[in-house]
Amino acid sequence: MTDFNASDIKGAVAHLADGAEAAADFLNTADGRLGDGDLGITVSKGWREAADRADAMPDDVGLLFLALAKAFQAASSSSFGTLTATALMSAAKACKGRQTVPWSEVPALLAGARDAMMARGKGELGMKSVLDIIDALAVATAGLDTPAALAGAAKQACEQTLETFRDKPNGLGRARVYADKSIGIDDPGMLAVKVMLTALTA
Amino acid sequence: MKKILNSPADYVDQMLEGLCLAHPEYYQQPERRVIVRTGGAEVGKVGIVTGGGSGHLPIFTGYVGRGLLSAAAIGDVFASPSADQMASAIAHANGGAGVLLLFGNYGGDVMNFDMAAEMVTMEHDIATATVLLADDVCSAPPQEAHKRRGVGGMVYAFKIAGAKADRGADLAAVAAAAQKAADACRSIGMALTPCTVPQAGKPTFTIADDEMEMGMGIHGEPGVWRGPLRAADDIAEEMLTRLLTDMPLARGDRVSLLVNSLGATPQEELYILFRHAAKRLEALGVRIVMPLIGRYATSMEMAGATFTLCRLDDELEDLLLAPADCAFWRV
Repeated sequence: MTDFNASDIKGAVAHLADGAEAAADFLNTADGRLGDGDLGITVSKGWREAADRADAMPDDVGLLFLALAKAFQAASSSSFGTLTATALMSAAKACKGRQTVPWSEVPALLAGARDAMMARGKGELGMKSVLDIIDALAVATAGLDTPAALAGAAKQACEQTLETFRDKPNGLGRARVYADKSIGIDDPGMLAVKVMLTALTA
Repeated sequence: MKKILNSPADYVDQMLEGLCLAHPEYYQQPERRVIVRTGGAEVGKVGIVTGGGSGHLPIFTGYVGRGLLSAAAIGDVFASPSADQMASAIAHANGGAGVLLLFGNYGGDVMNFDMAAEMVTMEHDIATATVLLADDVCSAPPQEAHKRRGVGGMVYAFKIAGAKADRGADLAAVAAAAQKAADACRSIGMALTPCTVPQAGKPTFTIADDEMEMGMGIHGEPGVWRGPLRAADDIAEEMLTRLLTDMPLARGDRVSLLVNSLGATPQEELYILFRHAAKRLEALGVRIVMPLIGRYATSMEMAGATFTLCRLDDELEDLLLAPADCAFWRV
């Protein structure tokens, strides 16, 4: 299996919706320490909407990513929802016009998502945000081309990044207001990526 | 909270439903939270789309109409619409000549409109251009003017860009006219009382009965000073002076002046403010063209007023005076 297609993505979205719902309280609590505590709702509502619409979505992988971006953002127009949709739009542009995409392109899709999210949110790396973890995943998966190898490297990079940033203050977005309080606490956006990764690789 | 509503969750949707029922000759809602001009996009003409949170009527939705906007995407009260809704508004506004995205400089709206533009380009191959309104002089100093929020200047930009599009100009020319209008506008607000967002249920800020705040934004963003309420002439004097400091005018210049109620302030008080501002401008040798006095860009039931100066040249004056028609403004 060297490629993935629309059917693979639709299956993954169903897993994401279930995984995000199961972890919604966990994410709300993590977010509540540094903000308004709705991140679990944002992520679970977004993926549930995407999963509900998935059957009717196109088989062109690019147009499918576009439809997922629209569905996610329609349900969750908070800044995290917009960033997630931005990542999906970046993948949409990279995959437009194709029915299958090689697994070996996943690192480049992650890197493209990171760059698009940085541009849209005007954020930088190293500030303890979701950007750092997407960057770590892109770097760690570079050169890999099977689902198993990609998943293994991504999970390891995810844990390492949480560890690296845990004792640093948040420097971006709303959590920046709570910079001192955020020391010793995992960034909620990073945890949301961990939840999604767990759902995808379970 | 003391408001006329059925439920906070239905506030925006029931408002839009009522708006379309009251004015079917102007507004249609083909999809939830997307208001388009009755009759749809005009083939061959540039469409103009705006969007933003509810709570500011007539901005944004109200200015959908002939010689004005083609469509608007509407969010919850004081919250950005989704990119999906904006993309839908753009698609409905597209007559084949491209669509200008014309909206206020607020973080969520900017991110979502950027994404909506990507979506329609990819999905429908619609060309878009973006012009942001950033006219509130108290929201950032002149050297950071790009960070300023958009307020009453939107009204002028909608009107001027709408007139340009109505005459059949291409996308670049409509965007240039909108940018020229945006660059020519400066605004300032002052508030006496806060408002309550239905879903929040609490006032956006607190202020003593005898106090006012100068420079406050239309969502209750902090202003430049808070102190005892002053006389109308003093308030008008300071507002005008702050605008003229930012955009000096010379003898012989022409401007339009918008004296806008934030919602609760009555027309009477707006005329008292205008009286002083008009005399000051006359003394400076500045001619006022088509003064606008009333509710144009509100903040729910907030009491207070904003001034917007729009400096005119021949082109902008001509476009401002061109015919336009919506439920809230007829020229």
